[in-house]
Amino acid sequence: MTASTETDRPGVGEQASVRPAMSRKAEELDRTWYSPSGFFGWFTQVNHRMIGKRFIITSFIFFLMAGIESLLLRTQLAVPENSFLTPDHFNQLFTMHGSTMMFFFAVPMMEGLGIYVVPLMIGTRDMAFPRLNAFGYYVYLIAGVTLYAAGFLGHAPDGGWFAYVPLTLTQYSPGLGLDFWATMITFIEISALVAAVELIVTIFKQRAPGMSLNRMPLFVWAMLVTMFMIVFAMPPLMVGSVMLALDRTVSTHFFMTSGGGEPLLWQHLFWFFGHPEVYIILVPALGVISSIVVTFARRPIFGYTAMVLSVVAIGFVAFGLWVHHMFTTGLPTLGVSFFTAASVMIAVPSGVQIFCWIATLWGAKLRFATPLLFVLGFFFIFVLGGLTGVMVASVPFDTQVHDTYFLVAHFHYVLIGGAVFPVFGAIYYWFPKVFGCMLNETAGKWSFVLMFVGFNMSFFPMHQLGLQGMPRRVYTYLSESGWFELSLLATIGAYVFALGVLVTAVDALLSFLRKPDAPDNPWGGDTLEWATSSPPPNYNFEDIPVVRGRWALWERGEEPAGTVVGLRSGRREVLVTTLLDAEPHAVAILPGPTIWPFLSAVAVAAGFLGFIRHPIWFPIGLLLTFVGFVGWLWPRAVGGSAEEEQAR
Amino acid sequence: MNAETRFDAGELPRLPADYRAPLWWGIVGLILVESVVFATLITSYFYLGIDQPEWPPAGTKTPDLVKPTLGTLVLMASSLPMHWADRGITRGDQTALRWGLLLSIALAVTFLVLKYIEYSEMGYRWYTHSYGSISWAIIGFHSTHVVALILKTVVVSALAWIGYFSERRSLAVKVNGIYWHFVVAVWIPLYATLYWMPRVLK
Repeated sequence: MTASTETDRPGVGEQASVRPAMSRKAEELDRTWYSPSGFFGWFTQVNHRMIGKRFIITSFIFFLMAGIESLLLRTQLAVPENSFLTPDHFNQLFTMHGSTMMFFFAVPMMEGLGIYVVPLMIGTRDMAFPRLNAFGYYVYLIAGVTLYAAGFLGHAPDGGWFAYVPLTLTQYSPGLGLDFWATMITFIEISALVAAVELIVTIFKQRAPGMSLNRMPLFVWAMLVTMFMIVFAMPPLMVGSVMLALDRTVSTHFFMTSGGGEPLLWQHLFWFFGHPEVYIILVPALGVISSIVVTFARRPIFGYTAMVLSVVAIGFVAFGLWVHHMFTTGLPTLGVSFFTAASVMIAVPSGVQIFCWIATLWGAKLRFATPLLFVLGFFFIFVLGGLTGVMVASVPFDTQVHDTYFLVAHFHYVLIGGAVFPVFGAIYYWFPKVFGCMLNETAGKWSFVLMFVGFNMSFFPMHQLGLQGMPRRVYTYLSESGWFELSLLATIGAYVFALGVLVTAVDALLSFLRKPDAPDNPWGGDTLEWATSSPPPNYNFEDIPVVRGRWALWERGEEPAGTVVGLRSGRREVLVTTLLDAEPHAVAILPGPTIWPFLSAVAVAAGFLGFIRHPIWFPIGLLLTFVGFVGWLWPRAVGGSAEEEQAR
Repeated sequence: MNAETRFDAGELPRLPADYRAPLWWGIVGLILVESVVFATLITSYFYLGIDQPEWPPAGTKTPDLVKPTLGTLVLMASSLPMHWADRGITRGDQTALRWGLLLSIALAVTFLVLKYIEYSEMGYRWYTHSYGSISWAIIGFHSTHVVALILKTVVVSALAWIGYFSERRSLAVKVNGIYWHFVVAVWIPLYATLYWMPRVLK
């Protein structure tokens, strides 16, 4: 377990002598785990690294789109009584900005990181349900593309990202914009839930032998907690958005007061999702930060158990906060007080995280590479966002600043600090593993400085604007209001921030022109993804490693502590281990590439989109999806016997 | 040391039909997700109903108990042949498997027919009032599940009749059974909500 056992590493000489045989095995594995290429091949890929990469790239593109939208908004607000945008366009843009950032960037980006990194970190060859993974991606892609296509065709939603009723009912929002919005929100929930179940099962059942729960990397813990939060938070939003769609299309009365409906039901359903959503975005980021802190402090995390328990606690307490978005709706005082208490309470586990990181960094020989800079930026911004969070958790203060720019400042500090900075840290940290080449350090530092300065320049003045009474979502303001100077500063800051993002984006694009040259473990990390080549081969690991400690690679220098033999190379076999102690007890045979997940996603989309026009599309969609699933799940060996399948 | 760090997976089972199979966990995950959906629907039912002066609203009858209770018993009974089929195939009994699946399907279809008769006689629709909206939503969502259940069990029994399953290969029967029992079990709180709560809330 300690460095002294490094001397009896399983025979270095022996490994060298069997290398020719190993490479034959590698060749066979490479054929077995091959991902089809080409235009048609693209629709059949199922390997987790392909799907994870797609999630990350697609969500980054949505991030850029939403960023452009915010620049348009800020340009409009730069000077008083500006006519750069019409009020209608302004409404559509802030709705699309919020919806895109929350549903099409933040959650899919975190899922993508999980899908790419988790199987490598726990030492397996693929996720438990590779085809389901692909299905989830197509659902996400179709949802995003449809919403934007509808927007460009003049059917953009304009009810804000939380789409409060009754504004969003047909009476006040005629047209198809909100129908598309409600439908696509339901649709993308499917994608998130699919990824959640998939990651939970993979983390539970496919960890490398010896990686018991108390040895699991903190990133994997964070992902596990996040995915459980998705399982409990997303279904209520799905029910809510389906109800909204039904109110709009077939005149049900869930939210319409005239028939006994309750508008507040929408707010409850939305925020029961919406508040955990903030933590669904934040908790994976906490995992990213723990990975980066450990690697760049070059020492184990301080208080591993406290870190795990506090992440789990955040996961639980996050479900007791939703009403603090509704303090001004006139709810009973007792209920409101409970949610104030819970909102203040969540600062405790968040504080545990921060102090454990500080303790880890304290006195360590830090290496100030770009990933660590983004983490340090996170500390500053997120703590400020947390402080204003404690302020708005108190009812009197919240009532004062509700729907002002103070709120806008607060949640951008939490979300950009809590998610975007860690995601950029993660991009710099894992880029060499994913694409095989390092990002430029100088560009990284410039990008960080521009983003950090631009962010604070843009959002810090908004606290003051809010206290001066500037409401959010106004498309312009009078020059007598006294909001001009700070608004202009915020606009300039937004452009500086965008420039910082652009530096990273261009650097990433240019890196595709370079030859892959990254070493396997450029940062000296401790987790298993650094034990394979950069980028990893199709099959991730030639030999599945055995883990014998919490810091898999540091226990024995750069090599994992042992290997698994006996997995067949000729078909997609992965090891299944027990939930608590990760002792091997079965082998799962994974399916290969196929077109069916794509066809099934198209079938589901046909049902959902058709429903906007006519309810008959519901049964049609159901039947088409059924056909898709049968094709997808049809057994490999209908003719052969079980004995052959076991032994083959 | 060397022997300890190597693990031989060569002899581990490839087709376990229990909690060792990832698919078993996948179905448990699906059930968890769906349970949250049903719980949200029930919560919404109470939220919509609790502050109303009358629930169901004036002019709408409190639902009758006879047909729904009969339907509930039929649906619950459908779990028995499913269990018989599942137990049968773990012993290699093809007859129990084939007929058990068909019997379950027949009972589930009977349940749907009873629901159809019941709801075509209802004096209100989803667009009448919020009571109608939430009742039809719950019934519609659950009945869709029963339809999906029947469709996928038809596929499983087709595979059973061509002799695909054996005691060594029965995972699909197992997970189909687990999901079947879930859709049956989740109906019980829905039944209690839809048919008994109007009497309690009155």
